Amino acid sequence: MSSAQIEIQLIASLVAIACAIPGVFLVLRKMALISDAISHSILPGLVIGFFITHDLNSPLLILMGALSGILTVVLVEYIQKTKLVKEDTAIGLVFPAMFSIGVLLIAKNANDVHLDVDAVLLGELAFAPFDRLIVNGIDIGPKSLWIIGTILLITLSLLVAFFKELKVSTFDAGLATSLGFSPIVIHYGLMSIASVTTVGAFDAVGAILVVALMIAPAATAYLLTNDLKIMLVFSVIFGVFSAISGYWLAHWLDASISGSMITMLGFVFFLVYLFAPNRGFISVLYRNKQQQKEVQLLTFLLHLNNHTEENERHINHLNEHINWHKIKAQSIVDLAEKNNMIVINNQIIALTPKGKIFTEKAIDYIITNDDSKIESMKKDFFLFRG
Amino acid sequence: MKRILVLIVILFVIGCKTKPKQVNERFSVVTTTTMITDLVKNIGGDKLEVKGLMGAGVDPHLYKASEGDVSKLFNADVVVYTGLHLEGKLEDVFEKMEHQSKKIIVAADAIDKKNLISSELFASNYDPHIWFDINNWTKITLHIADKLGEIDLKNAAFYKENAKTYLKKLKTLNLEVETKINELAVEKRILVTAHDAFNYFGKQHKFNVVGLQGLSTATEAGVQDVQKLAKFIIKNKVKAVFIESSVPKRTIEALKEAVNSNGHQVVIGGTLYSDALGSAETVEGTYIGMYKANVNTIVNALK
Repeated sequence: MSSAQIEIQLIASLVAIACAIPGVFLVLRKMALISDAISHSILPGLVIGFFITHDLNSPLLILMGALSGILTVVLVEYIQKTKLVKEDTAIGLVFPAMFSIGVLLIAKNANDVHLDVDAVLLGELAFAPFDRLIVNGIDIGPKSLWIIGTILLITLSLLVAFFKELKVSTFDAGLATSLGFSPIVIHYGLMSIASVTTVGAFDAVGAILVVALMIAPAATAYLLTNDLKIMLVFSVIFGVFSAISGYWLAHWLDASISGSMITMLGFVFFLVYLFAPNRGFISVLYRNKQQQKEVQLLTFLLHLNNHTEENERHINHLNEHINWHKIKAQSIVDLAEKNNMIVINNQIIALTPKGKIFTEKAIDYIITNDDSKIESMKKDFFLFRG
Repeated sequence: MKRILVLIVILFVIGCKTKPKQVNERFSVVTTTTMITDLVKNIGGDKLEVKGLMGAGVDPHLYKASEGDVSKLFNADVVVYTGLHLEGKLEDVFEKMEHQSKKIIVAADAIDKKNLISSELFASNYDPHIWFDINNWTKITLHIADKLGEIDLKNAAFYKENAKTYLKKLKTLNLEVETKINELAVEKRILVTAHDAFNYFGKQHKFNVVGLQGLSTATEAGVQDVQKLAKFIIKNKVKAVFIESSVPKRTIEALKEAVNSNGHQVVIGGTLYSDALGSAETVEGTYIGMYKANVNTIVNALK
């Protein structure tokens, strides 16, 4: 590995962490789209910064960009508070307006300058190692590594200092107010961090990758846990994993680095979506199937409980009476037998004492609809999942 | 969280160490467009390791870096590029690389500013398609051979010799091309293409060059542009319009439809190579082959 390759992976990993942290809160607050909005609405800030400095490379441009990002957040918040439109609509109203102001400013005053978001914020990870910071003639590493490192450090210290406040105001704004800190202040603080991170990361890795790194790891982690701390850790892990594996995917394919990283983010999300223990697609499918089976078992047991006459309990009768397919009927009988709920003598099915107790409990629950009884029922039902 | 921080610091320390570059016998040269790549290969012969960033048919304005380009640039001793914003933001990267013990050679430096075609509106913006004037290409050949000689002293004579051989070829090319173009009456020399890449070509060979969209391939032609140009074609009885290898042909086809609907017959004369050469294995994969192919396409269609 050359040092350029190491530096790219390092920058990408730092960007992944710096994006994952505000990303978790944005996803939880249903404001994931704000990072995409900010990536467009920084344009007027850049243009005004250019008018002041007349220099495309001035850091003031990036500062002004971040400011107009924050302005976007403020406007979104303001429109949303009117309760006339929802969050996503408010975001969709504000950022095109901001972007078009930027376009108009350029068209009116700076048409002969190559001024657009791409021109000011280079955003190509492949070239990041070649833009170096030189202090007193000593090369101290790529510029974007320092920028994103500083942003990450600020984000991390704010996260540690205000973790409790962030948590409470994210999940229960009312409680936050009554505890004596304003959820609005926390909200703007968070959005400012998101804005600064977006602009800073933009310069290092480009627009789409920033949006993807903010949202995808947090969305993936949310499939696995409800615990905020674990969700933060998972998002960071997913972000860094996708960044590094994406880099090697790009190396293998000799393709665009950002593109490969985003592919990995999508791939990781897809895997987790399929295989997550509780919310995953396969898990949900399995649970639905299992529940269906349990309902069928219960129907079968109730049937046995209701009929004492032998012809109703004959094994062949199941098909015609309950109208089950033969294979399905057999699988239910097997399941009940395996759990010692029935015995079969000469093809006549009878409930065991265990089966009897279980059925009575079920009837009791169906009649009384008493939730306290369902707890032990649940335990019984889990028995079948072996 | 602490562990992550420690990890970051460790990685950071590793990241900051730059390995000492091994001394290569051959200088490694990274080039941008296919034209420059072809030229440097001709000058460098087997004494230089030449790696081109952009492949055949890649529009330099829309070039996207791949992972392999990182290693190419990292291991490069010299970077050769066109300049005049043809390579866009990449030029900033190259300029910054100059501080990292890498040498850069800008082809456009070979051309006197007063010989450049400047934009009508913005005097300091120049048309970067300088390679379409063979005289420019001659100057660029000498310039690059000189600069390479300054960097790689012990092979300087070799580069000069190769440049001389190449210049002879360019001279032959110039003669051939002129004979071919003289088959075409001066009033028939109207070249309609998708974007304004052929101004230097027009200047050298006395063509009236009309582009549908502006200099940048990123902008699109408006409806008015198409109609204006259609009127121009009808008025001047132009027989053919041309598609370019690195620009989508949709707009030029729209133009053809606009002209034909007004009763004048215009055909698409063929595909011209503009911002990139043909595939590496073909004759059009070299500058000379590309130039001949373009001239043949143009003259045969307009005759």
